[in-house]
Amino acid sequence: MAEGKKAKLGGACDVVIIGAGNGGLAAALALAVRGAKPLVLEQHNAPGGFATSFVRGRFEFEAALHELSSIGPENNKGGVRRFLEDEGGVDIDWVPIPEAYRVILTDSGMDARLPFGEAPFIDAIEEKVPGSREPLTRYFALCREVSGALGLLAKTAANPSPKRIMKDLKKFVAESADPFDDARRNASNVVTFLRTLPKTVDDVTLKMGIPPKAVDLLYPYWCYLGIPMSRMNFTIWAAMLIDYIDYGAWIPRLRSQEMSYAIEARVRELGGRVEYNTRVERVLVERGRVKGVVTASGETIKTSAVIANTSPAQLYGSLVNPASEAPAAALRNVNSRKLGGAGFVVYLGLDASPVELGVNDYGYFISKTMDTDAVYGSMEKLDLVDMQATICLNNAIPDCSPPGTTIISMTTLYKPGVWDSVKPKEYAALKNRIADAMITQFDDALGTDIRSWVEEIEVATPATFARYARSFNGGIYGYELDPWDSIIPRILSEKEESYIKGLEVAGGFATMGHGFSSSLISGRSAGLKTLAGLGG
Amino acid sequence: MSELIKFDGFKDMAALLELLPERKKRMKEASAEPQTGDAMAALARALHPDIQRLVITDVREEAAGARVFRLVPDKESGASSLAVFRAGQYLSLKLDISGVRVARPYSISSSPADADDGGFYEITIRKKDGGFLSEHAWKEWREGTKIEASGPAGFFCVEPLRDARHIVGLAGGSGITPFRSMIKDIAETGADVKFTLLYGVNRPEEIMFKSDLEAFAAQAPDRISVHFVCCEPDAAWCGPTGFLTADSIRKLAGDPAGKSFFICGPQAMYSFLETELKQFDLPKKRMRREVFGETADVASHPEYPPDAAGKAFSMTVHCGSETTVIPAKANESALVALERAGIAPPSECRSGECGFCASILLKGKVFVIPETDRRRLAAKKFGVFHPCSSYPVTDIEVKVPLDKS
Repeated sequence: MAEGKKAKLGGACDVVIIGAGNGGLAAALALAVRGAKPLVLEQHNAPGGFATSFVRGRFEFEAALHELSSIGPENNKGGVRRFLEDEGGVDIDWVPIPEAYRVILTDSGMDARLPFGEAPFIDAIEEKVPGSREPLTRYFALCREVSGALGLLAKTAANPSPKRIMKDLKKFVAESADPFDDARRNASNVVTFLRTLPKTVDDVTLKMGIPPKAVDLLYPYWCYLGIPMSRMNFTIWAAMLIDYIDYGAWIPRLRSQEMSYAIEARVRELGGRVEYNTRVERVLVERGRVKGVVTASGETIKTSAVIANTSPAQLYGSLVNPASEAPAAALRNVNSRKLGGAGFVVYLGLDASPVELGVNDYGYFISKTMDTDAVYGSMEKLDLVDMQATICLNNAIPDCSPPGTTIISMTTLYKPGVWDSVKPKEYAALKNRIADAMITQFDDALGTDIRSWVEEIEVATPATFARYARSFNGGIYGYELDPWDSIIPRILSEKEESYIKGLEVAGGFATMGHGFSSSLISGRSAGLKTLAGLGG
Repeated sequence: MSELIKFDGFKDMAALLELLPERKKRMKEASAEPQTGDAMAALARALHPDIQRLVITDVREEAAGARVFRLVPDKESGASSLAVFRAGQYLSLKLDISGVRVARPYSISSSPADADDGGFYEITIRKKDGGFLSEHAWKEWREGTKIEASGPAGFFCVEPLRDARHIVGLAGGSGITPFRSMIKDIAETGADVKFTLLYGVNRPEEIMFKSDLEAFAAQAPDRISVHFVCCEPDAAWCGPTGFLTADSIRKLAGDPAGKSFFICGPQAMYSFLETELKQFDLPKKRMRREVFGETADVASHPEYPPDAAGKAFSMTVHCGSETTVIPAKANESALVALERAGIAPPSECRSGECGFCASILLKGKVFVIPETDRRRLAAKKFGVFHPCSSYPVTDIEVKVPLDKS
């Protein structure tokens, strides 16, 4: 076998990107539009990682995306849309999500539909919980200040160092006016930003005088970051909340697979290469510098730059070769951080229309309670979790399935390790048992009977995500965003925590945290950093 | 802006700077052991191995010129267990036949319990089914022959959250193989489901697994019933006769309402039954059919472009960093042309379903049989096609994926 090994991939290239997930594709795009010729190696047979879809019978299911932030409409594009369209030349048919969410809390009987846009959002909460308007208005102003300052930092952080960022902030405060961008506000942004930086969401939110029931209505997006509000850093929460409520949320018309194929096609058009069924087994490192990669079929590709759309745990624990080149500091870094949730999704193709089913909203957050610690605790057991985030695709894209049918997908999270003891033999029955309970959870909350209309069902577990996306331990999120491991400390530590020359991480484990938009943005920045390293 | 916030520069800066020492402290105190394990990757690999190395331990003659090959883990290559499967699934067998790497799907005819604890899979191949691999298997496979297979695949399985509690299996010819697995499984596990099998054959001697099937039914008479329906009965035949029709199905399986119909058999049977079952006016979800194998005569499809029929084309193939030009025939799938030329992209279902062979059409046109076109919408938009279910109708230029191995 060995003597017949030909250099199927060409032997050498400037940049190798491991994984065609959101982060890897974004990095490839950022590089390719600037003239570099990245080689993307993907172990699966299609691009996207989680940004994918699959067909069962007459249904095409979205695999993972609920809604993208930072897209925005044509006339007010968000950062992700500007990157993909204006910078990347990637054409995607974006569809707006009609409303923020419907939240149903089964213990208290709370049931509310919340629209996008700050004023309508606050109106809707005020209607359910009188007395919320004033504190919520103050709260949104606060979140907006934090979000604005974070946006400013993202600009100054092109070459981040604690010194540089502190200097920028000090200057910013001293001048009491925004020297960077007219749209940004005055120095109080930075004050608020600094003041809330070490705080958790609960620390800030629960001191604003917002009625507890209104807090329940405000909190559902917590599950998109997957860490309870008693621990989640306020900065990232504020940025996420403002982004969704201001820009709304969007999805590609042909599922997230449209986005990944569109980026992939654009990368190829620009001279990049994308190869499938090609798993990278080793990243060759010599004296702290990247030298190449070795694929599962044994081919070595020489390169001085690698962007890994993987977890640092996989990168330093098994990819870096020889193992002695994985610095102890990198391993300590990995071990100090908390892995986020692993995904569990029930995909249903139903042979009745949404109206017939009584499923008239796009996004549902169905939960026993909005006590995020309690819900988070329920993710520790191999059983029904207290919360599901459910989407009905037809309520954003009415013709996403044949007339008279409906696509629903229900997602929940498990903590890493919960599925570790599952034996192959009991796997199918277990996933069915949980799927069954989630269908009941949905039907009970809405008073519907979707159970009787199942034409197609598929269930994805942590093992499924590990299989198709090679995500570490089946995780769908990166590291948990505690204050000490939230975006700002990550930005401030980037230089110090860069352990191997020529190696960048992209995707949900990178600086910007997890989620589709964050992964795309961090992929772009990994591409830019790599380009700088190449002297481009 | 916010009157709540009074700026105290030093204190606020300090707050920011406090996060960094905390981060550093946590990292300093953490272990420096690499995380090499990944239980979910291990579970995924156990459930869906890229490859299973198997060896034949037994070859048994079955009726109708069929042979049952019993496959066990090939201990010599280090394999010790088989991936668990759901009754109704198939294996894609991968072989080098005179230098050509081919892959063909075969339903597993043994039950999931048979595969437990390093047990066995059985696949059943009829000689008369012809085909490249069948002929080879018939000629070459004996005890001790080593076989490479994919992990179990396919969706022709009973699903409690979707299907009715009463399943009617409609089998034709060697389409019985997945049903043998399902029925044996129901008999063994006591699953809370009723299964009525209607097995249509031309002549009595063509019934495969007759005594097995009768034994399973005897084992669980309240849940399993088996009926053989013969087209050309001999004098000794005392069962139902004729084709499987709406009438005979109603007679043998009872009122079709509230039952799920599973169909597996030759293509002619599908088309015939499709018309017959229309009379039952069943919702789509109550009819499930196994999609199997490549289309025998693509040119006869009503939507096939008539001027392409019988022609020969050239196919420019980019694979990795290599480019080759190979011949392709109008009546053969692009996958067959690739395999013939020694370029074997990964493939499993050969029915357009699984997407393993997904490739990019850079130039030219292919005919994709609409009924087996299971591509994603975005795949179509961006020129992705499945060579196993696509037929060149002009010269084409394609980019095909590398094989994993």
